[in-house]
Amino acid sequence: MGAYFDDKDLAHFGDLKGHHPDLWSAFESYYGKAFEPGLLTKREKVLVGFAVAASSQCPYCIDSYTQQALEQGLTMKHLAEALHAAASLKAGITLAHGLVAHNIDKKVSM
Amino acid sequence: MATTAPIPLSMSSDRFRRRLASARCDLRADAVTTLQINVGRICNQACRHCHVEASPARTELMGDDVVEACFDVLARHPEIGTLDITAGAPELHPRFREMVERGRALGRTVIARHNLTVQFEPGQEGLPELFAAHGVELVSSLPHYLADATDRQRGHGVFDKSVAALRALNAVGYGQGGPLKLTLVANPVGAFLPPRQDDLERDMRDHLQRTYGITFDQLFVITNMPLGRFAQWLQRAGLYDEYLCKLENAFNPATLESVMCRSLVSVNYDGRLHDCDFNQMLDIELAPGASRTIFDFKADTLAGRPILIGDHCLGCTAGAGSSCGGNLTE
Repeated sequence: MGAYFDDKDLAHFGDLKGHHPDLWSAFESYYGKAFEPGLLTKREKVLVGFAVAASSQCPYCIDSYTQQALEQGLTMKHLAEALHAAASLKAGITLAHGLVAHNIDKKVSM
Repeated sequence: MATTAPIPLSMSSDRFRRRLASARCDLRADAVTTLQINVGRICNQACRHCHVEASPARTELMGDDVVEACFDVLARHPEIGTLDITAGAPELHPRFREMVERGRALGRTVIARHNLTVQFEPGQEGLPELFAAHGVELVSSLPHYLADATDRQRGHGVFDKSVAALRALNAVGYGQGGPLKLTLVANPVGAFLPPRQDDLERDMRDHLQRTYGITFDQLFVITNMPLGRFAQWLQRAGLYDEYLCKLENAFNPATLESVMCRSLVSVNYDGRLHDCDFNQMLDIELAPGASRTIFDFKADTLAGRPILIGDHCLGCTAGAGSSCGGNLTE
């Protein structure tokens, strides 16, 4: 194995089905329905997918959702806004977790 | 007349033919209702995706004999309701204004594939007024409502010039929902499929109105054809096969009913006839038995002719379909 992540792997995602077809089919159905347009448009859902992919640092999903976003008429400028929104939230989450340290410090320090 | 046109990339595989067979479709032309004339390869721009590979350096122009033959055909065939003038930038043909006037005088709908920025070329003053005076339908490329995306495809500064040109067209009455029709055409800036036409039209309308005060009548969304400069870029980027796979996987047989080759015939600057502008660039002439040139145009040899196909046809049949008239399906 040359690398853990290979862009050619993405086309073989469905190969995992063979290990447990029932659970895989359930996942496919759920995933498909979750991304169908509803109150949110397809494009809004693709942007959610992109932000989660970047935040979760999944190269496969970043590849897929970048291409889907381009096919929704979005550009790298749109995606940059989404990246900064996701990144700033991650920064806020890191800081918010500082409250645990803050509270512990208050509890145990004189 | 120069004869140094770049050699187009050959379409060697059989992907579209297989898809057509699986759809059980025998792709044949109906009666010709549109005469699309490509009056030359010259253009003031050299867009990176251009299937014509047009540029300021190209010199091929439709000769006087071909121009006269086109109007002779129009005069003899009232069933051909539309004259569609393309190029390059058709306005740079010295007889462009005369073609517009004669087409309208014959009572035909005249469409000009107008790249917007040509309005600012020397000698092109008054183009919006000319178009308006003759009720020409305008079809104009604007790949994206963001300057960066448009300029990456069409050249630095093209977006700003296009905005200025659109304002000039709005000022003479184009794009207001009235008889002066202004259609914008968007295509992807890269090796991916276009968005849904109605989605992008809504965004384009909102952004252009809010930011620049520009209005237009409708948006066509088209797929990039794997031909000409776009095909060369795909090959350089190592994306050619991947892009053809993407088009093939998005093949939609519902588009076959309304692909443009069914209703138009494309006239080369030298008078030869083709099933469409894309076949013209590949030098694919009409099937045996059909008229070869505008000089021997016989409508009964054109209706029912088999359309000659290649893998580039996947571009017109991917997703919601794509043609000079935008999406082919709802």
